[in-house]
Amino acid sequence: MTTTQSISLFGEREKGESVRTQNMTAAVAIANIVKSSLGPVGLDKMLVDEVGDVTVTNDGATILKLLEVEHPAAKVLCELAQLQDEEVGDGTTSVVIIAAELLRAANELIKMKVHPTTIINGYKLACKESVKFIQDNLSVPAADLGKNCLANVAKTSMSSKIIGSDKDFFSNIVVQCAELIRFTNTRGEQKCPIKTINILKAHGKSVRESQMIKGYALNCTVASQLMPKSIKNAKIACIDFSLQKSKMKLGVQVVVDDPEKLDAIRQRESDITKEKIQLILNSGANVILTTGGIDDMCLKYFVDAGALAVRRCKKEDLKRIARATGAALVASLSNLEGEESFEPSFLGAADEICQTRICDDELIIIKGTKAKPAASIILRGANDIYVDEMDRSVHDSLCAVKRVIESKAVVPGGGCVEAALSIYLENFATSLGSREQLAIAEFAQAMLVIPKTLVVNAAKDSTELVAKLRAFHNASQTIEAKRAFKWIGLDLENGKCRDNKDAGVLEPAMSKIKSLKFATEAAITILRIDDMIKIYQPSKEDPNSYANAVREGRM
Amino acid sequence: MQQPMLVLKNNTKRESGRKVQLSNIKAAKTISDIIRTCLGPKAMLKMLMDPMGGIVMTNDGNAILREIQVQHPAAKSMIEISRTQDEEVGDGTTSVIILAGELLKVAEPFLVDNMHPTVIIAAYRQALEDAVSMMRNEVAKPVDTDNREEMVKIIKSSLGTKFMKGWNDLACGIALDAVKCVRINDQSAGGYNEIDIKRYAKVEKVPGGSIEMSEILDGVMFNKDVTHTGMKRRIENPRIVMLDCNLEYKKGESQTNMEFMQETDFRKILQLEENYIKDICDDIIALKPDLVLTEKGVSDLAQHFLLKAGITAVRRLRKSDMNRVARAVGGQIVHRTEELKDSDVGTECGLFEVKKFGDEYFTFLTKCKNPKACTILLRGASKDVLMEVERNLLDAMNVARNVMIDPFLVPGGGAVEAAVAHRLIEKSKEIQGVGQWPYRALAEALRIIPKTLMQNCGVNTIRTMTNLTAKHATTGSTWGVDGETGNIVDMEEFGVWDTLQVKSQVFKTAIETAILLLRIDDIVSGVKKQSDIDAEKMAGKFQAANPQEGPEE
Repeated sequence: MTTTQSISLFGEREKGESVRTQNMTAAVAIANIVKSSLGPVGLDKMLVDEVGDVTVTNDGATILKLLEVEHPAAKVLCELAQLQDEEVGDGTTSVVIIAAELLRAANELIKMKVHPTTIINGYKLACKESVKFIQDNLSVPAADLGKNCLANVAKTSMSSKIIGSDKDFFSNIVVQCAELIRFTNTRGEQKCPIKTINILKAHGKSVRESQMIKGYALNCTVASQLMPKSIKNAKIACIDFSLQKSKMKLGVQVVVDDPEKLDAIRQRESDITKEKIQLILNSGANVILTTGGIDDMCLKYFVDAGALAVRRCKKEDLKRIARATGAALVASLSNLEGEESFEPSFLGAADEICQTRICDDELIIIKGTKAKPAASIILRGANDIYVDEMDRSVHDSLCAVKRVIESKAVVPGGGCVEAALSIYLENFATSLGSREQLAIAEFAQAMLVIPKTLVVNAAKDSTELVAKLRAFHNASQTIEAKRAFKWIGLDLENGKCRDNKDAGVLEPAMSKIKSLKFATEAAITILRIDDMIKIYQPSKEDPNSYANAVREGRM
Repeated sequence: MQQPMLVLKNNTKRESGRKVQLSNIKAAKTISDIIRTCLGPKAMLKMLMDPMGGIVMTNDGNAILREIQVQHPAAKSMIEISRTQDEEVGDGTTSVIILAGELLKVAEPFLVDNMHPTVIIAAYRQALEDAVSMMRNEVAKPVDTDNREEMVKIIKSSLGTKFMKGWNDLACGIALDAVKCVRINDQSAGGYNEIDIKRYAKVEKVPGGSIEMSEILDGVMFNKDVTHTGMKRRIENPRIVMLDCNLEYKKGESQTNMEFMQETDFRKILQLEENYIKDICDDIIALKPDLVLTEKGVSDLAQHFLLKAGITAVRRLRKSDMNRVARAVGGQIVHRTEELKDSDVGTECGLFEVKKFGDEYFTFLTKCKNPKACTILLRGASKDVLMEVERNLLDAMNVARNVMIDPFLVPGGGAVEAAVAHRLIEKSKEIQGVGQWPYRALAEALRIIPKTLMQNCGVNTIRTMTNLTAKHATTGSTWGVDGETGNIVDMEEFGVWDTLQVKSQVFKTAIETAILLLRIDDIVSGVKKQSDIDAEKMAGKFQAANPQEGPEE
């Protein structure tokens, strides 16, 4: 049989080893980009886009999101980071590094003529065993470690970030926020909806002057400067329509016979809104938040009533406020009877609402919400780039804390889990008589990439430290008396091995397990490829476009 | 075996490692060198030309950097910090850049010596904490904000470096009065302290005359004339009605059509329109005001009615002006004339007057009893000069505001930097480990401020600097540089003070920026735009949402 060019389209096709090598190289290239940002001594990347806007970040997912990646296999890895970001929120860098390392190892095996499916099976088996091992042996129930556990998780997550040198300060904020909003749902599960934490960014002051607010901070100003700037015992009405002069919908015409009626229509137009406002104010509301606009003419009624009105709030914000204060987000005033009404039960309550100046902006802060506690974080920093990166870091830590609260288990960090897994899997591999043994042994080796990278980033001797680490874990798994050695991980500031469980370097177990699963799956996806067909893009021009028509003289 | 393959897009450029760190430092240094000559009383103005051909003359750090176009991303983030400083405290924009540049410069040798950036950063952070607390606890002194003389002195030291220097007393007086005027200290609302310069202290620039003729009004002023020439142009103790509605017939919002069957109907509708105007004018006249101000228009007919009643009308005021008027004369802005009440009328104004400068008319509402808003009237030779004077005044007002909010002072003229540097160096001796060196380097870097002051007035930097260091080591922490002569003087006697708020903000911003830039080890340019990513995300969501919709239906 002869191989003929069966594709008649413009395109190119690559097969076999060349495509595998290419995929592997691409994956390793991507991993190399993010590699130096891993760990407590990792550094940041500065990304500049076409317009010249700058992003400084340490977060793997953000870096890969901003990169314009050409190679399809590399794209898989970028998506992998995104997936980890959405599912777990933390550990995005390590997942990419592991996946790339798995691919590299697999490629070596393939060169030794091991069939990819064997490798895939081996990887799957290894992954399953690892997950079991983490769950059975390495994870610690968060409750056993006391109150500091959450703070330690937050600290570990932010230690590699720009706020690393202030981790005590920020871990405090993060944990306080998380504690404030956690609740047990009807099924008895612990929930921690971190999405309800509003993170506001304002440049100025210093990082340490970032603050947590027990309440909701809203990035809006009061509608009129004549309104009070602070209200105690606020009764909040959240409405989702405009308080503007009402008019007929487009296309509706009013035809009048009597000229007198014309004036009546005008009169009515302004009265309708006035009546609406009166309804709201009569219910006892003294704070009115709306997503729509408020006409200047209507502001006076609020001013007269001493109420505080805010217009053009974001709907997202308003929904959260409604939930926190127990208010109903009212879309229309009409009730089932077809009349207009506004029940006092629609109102939410809060201890205080006030407007404060932060930087050059004004914020409205709702304190002491009645229905559910709310928390907001205001981040301060030298410039916008700095605050943006702080936002990402705080978000990652919040995610990590959330995972611990919800899944209640942690594992020691600092390369401890990976080292333990590599020893365990190596032993496991030798117990296996089939061809998968090779793949599992490679998987075990690949695990070591995390401690190695950590050590390299810290500019320490990676060969020596990793060997030491492995020795400890080997002892812990073979000698019964030395079981406690299984918590040993790396101390990167001093370049030593130490008990990371005691040192408080902790990560959510779920994050580790998920990242392992995701990385394996991504590696498998790419491994299965043995043929790549790339079709050149057909010219994009639309034959019916205006420019074409002119050119062809159709116009 | 294979052709070179592309992992990233073709146009992506990437630099990493030491090279990036050093180039960042270089960029930061370049920026700080640009405005180095703008520090201190011997500072020179810079003339900048924008792409449109307009010119800016200034020695305000932020104003200069705003106009400069830079390529390097690190330089961009340097420029940002001057903006941060401006928005947060409104002063010290030059020193923050100089300091940040110097902090990066002193970090360079450590990087070359293979010290890990995280070590440097940790030391810097620690030093920042120490510096800020030292400044507050050891160097700063409290000030009595009610003491006019002292306040003027403080503002003076801020203006000392600026164009307004020649009119120091005038400018200080204006700035202080303006800030006092707009200050609201509401004890009932839990000590709510508001000083909103941006909204309530308006600077009106009128070219012509001389700078000496600038003044602060005990009321407000705006660039408008009465609507009808027959109206009175000067009223003492006017009763003022403020409206934000039209005094002319306006059609309804809904689309209305009218079909006439007979000619009488047509006349009737015209009559109605006239009656409407008469009605609203009657509503106003019933209150017996002397002056009507509106944000919208006044029709000829309404003018006629008002003129007959002896009322002066001014139309088309800006909303922000109207708010100031309301704060200055008391009273309320009303939208519907039928809702006018006697309490809505502003009565606290002492004099309404229309004056003519050049060929423009200006309306003055002055001699207000208790104005909570004011206008500063600036006169000067040309628009460009006025712009610079305005910037100076804003700086001065910000200084006054900062002192009122946080009444602590630190000695100026580089004294506070020298004092903190001295203390940090002492403290660095107790620090163990490698962190000691960057900590100490940061302390040394603080001395760039007095050093630059000396350079700008042309004295022997090394000798004077040594003297200054010696003074701080032996006697007191208030010794600084007299920016005029370059001599070392005791700021306590010399009377140059800065506010603590500004100085601590300078330290915070500068050090944190240095930290940000030191952490970077990789620059990738030509990445996706944020908007593209959002678009992609939207598209992705849309696709993801669609299959879910299927089964539900």
